[in-house]
Amino acid sequence: MMPRPYFKGWLLRVVPLLLLVGVWAFVSATKLADPAFLPSPLAVLAAFSDLLSGGEIARNLLITLFRAAVGLVLGAVSGVWIGLMMARSQIFRAYVAPIVGGTYSLPKSALIPLFALWFGIGNVTAICAVYLACLLPMIVNTFHGVTATPKVLTWSAEALGTGDREMLSRIYLRHALPDIFTGLRIALGFSFVLAISSEMIASTSGIGKLVFMYGENGTYDYMFGALSCIVIVAFLADRAMLAVTAYCLRWHESAARAETA
Amino acid sequence: MRDVTRPKIDVSRLSKSYVTDRGAVLALRGTDLAIAEGEFVSIVGPSGCGKSTLLYIVGGFLSADGEVLIDGQAVTGPGTDRGVVFQEYALFPWLTVRGNISYGLERQGMATAERMPIVERLIALIGLKGFEDRYPRELSGGMKQRVAIARTLACDPAILLLDEPLGALDAQTREIMQDELLRIWLNTRKTVLMVTHDVTEAVYLSNRICVMSARPGQIVEEFTVDLDRTKTREETFLSDAFNKVRNEVWLSVRRQALAVEQK
Repeated sequence: MMPRPYFKGWLLRVVPLLLLVGVWAFVSATKLADPAFLPSPLAVLAAFSDLLSGGEIARNLLITLFRAAVGLVLGAVSGVWIGLMMARSQIFRAYVAPIVGGTYSLPKSALIPLFALWFGIGNVTAICAVYLACLLPMIVNTFHGVTATPKVLTWSAEALGTGDREMLSRIYLRHALPDIFTGLRIALGFSFVLAISSEMIASTSGIGKLVFMYGENGTYDYMFGALSCIVIVAFLADRAMLAVTAYCLRWHESAARAETA
Repeated sequence: MRDVTRPKIDVSRLSKSYVTDRGAVLALRGTDLAIAEGEFVSIVGPSGCGKSTLLYIVGGFLSADGEVLIDGQAVTGPGTDRGVVFQEYALFPWLTVRGNISYGLERQGMATAERMPIVERLIALIGLKGFEDRYPRELSGGMKQRVAIARTLACDPAILLLDEPLGALDAQTREIMQDELLRIWLNTRKTVLMVTHDVTEAVYLSNRICVMSARPGQIVEEFTVDLDRTKTREETFLSDAFNKVRNEVWLSVRRQALAVEQK
């Protein structure tokens, strides 16, 4: 009976979710919570399918995804570069480290009103917020991965005729790749959070604005429906990221653990 | 014209100190060592005596006071003329067996068509046919060190620097790898400088053994090993000539180790 273990694993993941929905249905059916504020799962499902049949949700979701993706890509690229330079250049590190250290624990969403003031309502503000939020975990993780490169690897590479510039791309960045992917997964989560929260504060479009609007209007079933869309998209994006990571790190010890798990 | 009297590796008055939290530590003090072309020289000594430090300086990875000459030229940094094999974890984990072995040739800009036969020949030499596309994490310790040796041989360096190359292997694998190293050296006659803590291994493989004192390291005694390399391991190990040198070297290392205890 080959399919059994797989099916069991799948069931184990679904059961807690179903239980949660069950509790939710129970609470709303018994009117423990005011149904006006907590719509039943069925009402949310109806709103969800209604949203899917209309073009509004898809259009706004695409706007949000665009903002999150642009900020994430820019943040990742510049974060890897800054992290690498910090690890390899004393002077660069001396200038940049205090700034990184000072802004690392600052919630980037606190800057959204400031960005709105500078860049107005819309894309630029959202992208800036996403960019900054993605930048820091990328810097910190890349820096860590590069500085942790063992001496025997860099020495071996030098003895095999690797030039200074090639050392960065062929040795340091390769060694930092597992850490870079750790940073990317964190940044991916941040990109959704910041895109949506900046839309709630300073935007006329996007899924964040839509959720906010439904909340304002008191149409909570639609608000929950839109939230469900975000949850599904964010989950799928995370899964896709994990799949890309597993492929790119198939040489790494973590791949061996995944095989046996 | 090549000067036959000039050593391949010439180390003179080499001193090295490290700065630690508890002040400066002198690792090497005025070390001299000359190695002729085609020689296999091993350095043995108590742990922490600076023997690996000496090897790293010859490799150009560390700077030091004094002079290291290769063919009469001062060493200023690492170079492809000196291939290095470290104890472990030195393979590029993101490259396959084939990728690791061809790495150095790729850096030289050698074309794929020219590179492939060399790489295939080395894979055959180390007996890893069928494992070409494996990553290091999928290999045993012995296989990894075979790949590390092949990766170094690919660039055809004149000098091999071996830093306890078999130190992380179990006893059985170690013996097999010693025989492979000996076979490779007999076939290529490269100049080899090996650091090891295993006296038997040093005697089995080398022409000459240098015993280092405890820190600050200095070469205090030298032994010439003159064994018939055409004999099998069994014949060599059971011969009086082998055991006589082995005992002498062992006693010498022991004296140095005991001197540390008494300090």
